Amino acid sequence: MTRLPPIPGEWIDRSRVLEFQFEGKPYRGFAGDTITSALCARGVRVLGRSFKYHRPRGVLSLANHDVNVLVDDGRALNVRADVTPLAAGMQLMPVNVFGTLQHDRAHKLDRFSRFLPVGFYYKAFLRPKWAFPHWERAIRKLSGLGTPNFEAPRVRTRNRHVFCDVLVIGAGASGMAAALAAGRAGANVMLVDENARIGGSLTYAHGGDAASHGRLQRLTLEIEQCATIRVMPATFASGFYADRWIALIDSNRMTKVRARSVIVATGVMEQPAVFNHNDLPGVMLASGAQRLIYRYAVRPMDTAVVLTANTEGYASALDLSMAGVKIAAIIDLRMAFEETEVGRAVAARGIRVMQHSCIYEAIAAPGGAGVAGIGVCRMTADGRADVATRMEIACDGVVMSIGFAPANGLLQQAGASMRFDARIQQFVPDTLPAGVFAAGRVNGVYDLEIRLRDGEHAAAQALHHLGMRSSVPDMAQRPPSRCPTLAYPIIEHRGAKNFVDFDEDLVVRDFTRAAQEGFDSSELLKRYTTVGMGPSQGKHSNMNALRILARARGVPIGTLSTTTARPFVHPVPLSHLAGRGFTPVRLTPLHSRHERAGAVFMHAGVWLRPEYYASPGKSKATLVTEEVLTVRRVAGLIDVGTLGKIEISGPDAGELLERAYTGRFQNLKIGMSRYAVMLDEAGVIIDDGVIARLGEHRYYFTTTTTSSALVYRELQRYIAQWRLDCGIVNLTGAMAAMNLAGPRSREILSRVSEMVLDEFGFPYLGAREGTIAGAAVRVLRVGFVGELGFEIHVPAESAVHVWDALLAVGAGAGLIPFGVEAQRLLRLEKGHIIIGQDTDGLTTPLEAALDWTCKMDKPFFVGQRSLRAMQARPIKQKLTGFVLPTAYSGPSPSECHLVIREGKIAGRVTSVAYSPTLKHIIGLAMLAPELAAAGTHFQIRVEGGTMLEAEAVAEPFYDPRGERQRPTLAQLHARKRPQEAV
Amino acid sequence: MIRTSPLYDSLRRLDPTWGELNGMATARNLATRPSAALQLTDLSALRRGGLKGSAAASWLESRDIPVPSHANSWASLAGGGFIARLGRSEFLLEDGPQGVVVSGVLAGLGTPAADVYPVLRQDAALIIRGEAVHELLAQTCGIDFAGMSAREHVVTLTLLAGIAVTLIDDSEAHSLPCYRLWCDGTYGIYLWDTLLEIAVELGGGAVGFDTIYADASSNTTNAS
Repeated sequence: MTRLPPIPGEWIDRSRVLEFQFEGKPYRGFAGDTITSALCARGVRVLGRSFKYHRPRGVLSLANHDVNVLVDDGRALNVRADVTPLAAGMQLMPVNVFGTLQHDRAHKLDRFSRFLPVGFYYKAFLRPKWAFPHWERAIRKLSGLGTPNFEAPRVRTRNRHVFCDVLVIGAGASGMAAALAAGRAGANVMLVDENARIGGSLTYAHGGDAASHGRLQRLTLEIEQCATIRVMPATFASGFYADRWIALIDSNRMTKVRARSVIVATGVMEQPAVFNHNDLPGVMLASGAQRLIYRYAVRPMDTAVVLTANTEGYASALDLSMAGVKIAAIIDLRMAFEETEVGRAVAARGIRVMQHSCIYEAIAAPGGAGVAGIGVCRMTADGRADVATRMEIACDGVVMSIGFAPANGLLQQAGASMRFDARIQQFVPDTLPAGVFAAGRVNGVYDLEIRLRDGEHAAAQALHHLGMRSSVPDMAQRPPSRCPTLAYPIIEHRGAKNFVDFDEDLVVRDFTRAAQEGFDSSELLKRYTTVGMGPSQGKHSNMNALRILARARGVPIGTLSTTTARPFVHPVPLSHLAGRGFTPVRLTPLHSRHERAGAVFMHAGVWLRPEYYASPGKSKATLVTEEVLTVRRVAGLIDVGTLGKIEISGPDAGELLERAYTGRFQNLKIGMSRYAVMLDEAGVIIDDGVIARLGEHRYYFTTTTTSSALVYRELQRYIAQWRLDCGIVNLTGAMAAMNLAGPRSREILSRVSEMVLDEFGFPYLGAREGTIAGAAVRVLRVGFVGELGFEIHVPAESAVHVWDALLAVGAGAGLIPFGVEAQRLLRLEKGHIIIGQDTDGLTTPLEAALDWTCKMDKPFFVGQRSLRAMQARPIKQKLTGFVLPTAYSGPSPSECHLVIREGKIAGRVTSVAYSPTLKHIIGLAMLAPELAAAGTHFQIRVEGGTMLEAEAVAEPFYDPRGERQRPTLAQLHARKRPQEAV
Repeated sequence: MIRTSPLYDSLRRLDPTWGELNGMATARNLATRPSAALQLTDLSALRRGGLKGSAAASWLESRDIPVPSHANSWASLAGGGFIARLGRSEFLLEDGPQGVVVSGVLAGLGTPAADVYPVLRQDAALIIRGEAVHELLAQTCGIDFAGMSAREHVVTLTLLAGIAVTLIDDSEAHSLPCYRLWCDGTYGIYLWDTLLEIAVELGGGAVGFDTIYADASSNTTNAS
């Protein structure tokens, strides 16, 4: 392999030399080279090692249809060298190599290949069972491509959305013709192609006539001059999604295109012939060799044998000859002579043509690093090699041109159905979804002039779909003039190095065995052999696999289904999928105040909440304990703005709540609130909150933090479903909320509010509207943390003002902000549950001891019917309080630790913590009912398998008579109004 | 000042000259002066309110407020404001710096009316404008804004950078590509920071209130 003198249309810029390293050795290439072409130009033949047997590999397609050449560049893993532009300073290493490419220690695996057929690991390592970990480690060490660099910086890509009338995917002859026709009609056209330049096969398939480059230049110029065409080279369409939403990938980003119509002109992928040692470096597809010559000015070999079964093979021989390659022979698998212009040109050059012959095997050069020659045989009448006629021809390269497979993955993703056209041995579109059209070779047309007309016809169809054209002329349907693809390009050999799938090192025998073992559909064959499951996703192997399967089953290939084509057509970097990484974060209006106070934040759904407030030199446990004790002894202020907040107004507001929640709310007094539980139809708890009645037809209520959107949506649905006369407003973001709790909370609040706060004027569970520090507020007297408490709801814009005012007047009394961790502990002491933590997706009110909230005598509420059915059966679990012995001082159990009885699971811990108030560990557990009776002892299995003894107890653990929130009558009589005392 | 903008903490980092508008601290001018290619401004201080209910449209009409004829469209209010029809029976109103329409509406909603319900609006309100605004939108939203006409007065309810926003094309009033958008105030910091990061990449940045409403500065008072 050597660099050729300048060739018209070459993609390299010889004025810009790029230096790089491969396997630690310095190399030089040109701007415009790919990594592979630059290495080839320097005579490097062995460019990679195969996945399973570590066989040396070189160029096959040079088109991203195989992954023979994968490299790491330090930051990116498994870079596809065939199509990745060379850059200065690259430090490249091959993947999957133990040692060097020339001396890969794992190459010895190739010698054992007969013992490692597909599926061997399904069968080989089952017994003895104890040995499996050893085999697993060994396989894991050997398998895998590349080594991830966990230090690589995160790449944030700038994904964007674009829109067009016509998206043309593939800028070969038909795609360019389609784009031009649509663009000239005034449509907004995008023309994308995965190659660095547009032109498709026009850039390399010249048949020895470099002047044909002129046609490409004319088309390119016309496209450049058409103002309505946007050209996006080096961009591939990775996936086709609903409503003609197509993901385009370039080196920097994903572009999300919404196209009004799409023309798929993705062409075909040349397929390899299958013969023994067809994977040796130097054996390549004709199109791969042509790409090396015309795009990168690299002579792919010195002496070539061309194996062909179509006109394209003869044309490639002329291209090779033009590049100075000696053609030792053309081996034509067909009986018929090539009676075409290129056939005659080949004959005129005196190139030896061996008709109805095949390459039986390639002969490896010493060390297996290349080709030394081929063994060629005449073919028998039934398409096999007649080994008696075997003769050898010396060469250092083999060029294969036996046929093509359509690049129809996008069409299939779009919903097109395919049919097999035996005349051209190719799947072609049968039906296409609305607005999607196919053109060119993917559509089954091969001759250049027809491809151009096919592109224009597809454009006419697209314009008609867009209403920009009244009719579409019929495309004259003529039978194909030739068959470009051989029906069975597979030569059987007694050896086992005739590769079908180069990614996975699959040989013909693997497929015949799979079919014999009953994996005889395309889907089963794929799963068993892993064909098409490698990085190139079957681009060079699926069709041959299907052909082998069809022959093994004795059925026509058209009767076999193809495997499902799913995105992505080529792999997409995770950085492109992540884009900028839009991760919405919701902050309460008080967030800056928490930051200023040293809060350590935690995620609660999309919200950030203060977990606790840090202080230098103090541990989290100490700080949480201090917060808990301050709330118990003085007062604390917590931001509860993340709670869902909803307002319902209208004559049917009460009726809605009666039906949606388990409790009774039409009899709720104005100015009072009530705990509320919401169930789904199955009777499972989905949310809870507090509902306050602010007026005759006006209710305001809270939901849990994570369920506000769900509850709002459900209530909207109920209003529509039941045709209720009420309006619902989600105020979750519009209202901030904070809970002022503790024995001195009333006293502190009274300093900034004129509201009546005493026990008579504002009793427990009361709900009031008023002002605090001049800001309009709604205040609910709640007791979630088990102390006298005022939950203050305020328009978000006034939250900071109210928060600051409260802390200012409370500072002297010792008021502090407290976080979620302290709140969780405080509520646990009080025995209040958290939906979603103490319950799960199956918990009913009967199990969570919330049956008291369910007014079964109501005519209806959601979940009531299911609850009735459940009431007739014994419950299977019950949420129960438990304590550990006071003397216990070991590590605490954790949430989700299991309760074990007689070796079996009998429950799980849902909440647990050390109570600084009670001085021992307390918790809630979902227990088997027989363990739930107070005084019952049970065991909790903690980390390391240690069993801890726990005792079920009645709740609440703290203030069981509720005197902290609701004074006794005697206390009420004895107490003066707080306002009078202040 | 009782009112605080949802974007206050982000604006504070931009070293603004503060003023007061409608009782809210407002960044009148910022230390940086980005190009006019793309400008981003907090307009949360403008008075706004909402109402919904089957009688909301007639309630507004009875007060001589222009009601957009169909859902997802908007109309101008006296004083530079907007009324956006968010659905068949829901409306968002916002005054311009000198407008007084919203104040009247909010006062009127204080008296209960059948089938009319007030909607407390505490949005983060932004304006984005400049020639690069469509590129900003292309990177954050799946709607083809460049293909829509400002004259159609469309209200778009969509996702921008992953969160729900209400957006209108106000290019007519600014003689350059210009959009107004509103989102839940609790997402305001996230949205502002995200849009600002992209805007800076595109050669733009944040500007103060006075840059957008130069003639309104007389209505704001210094608070620095």
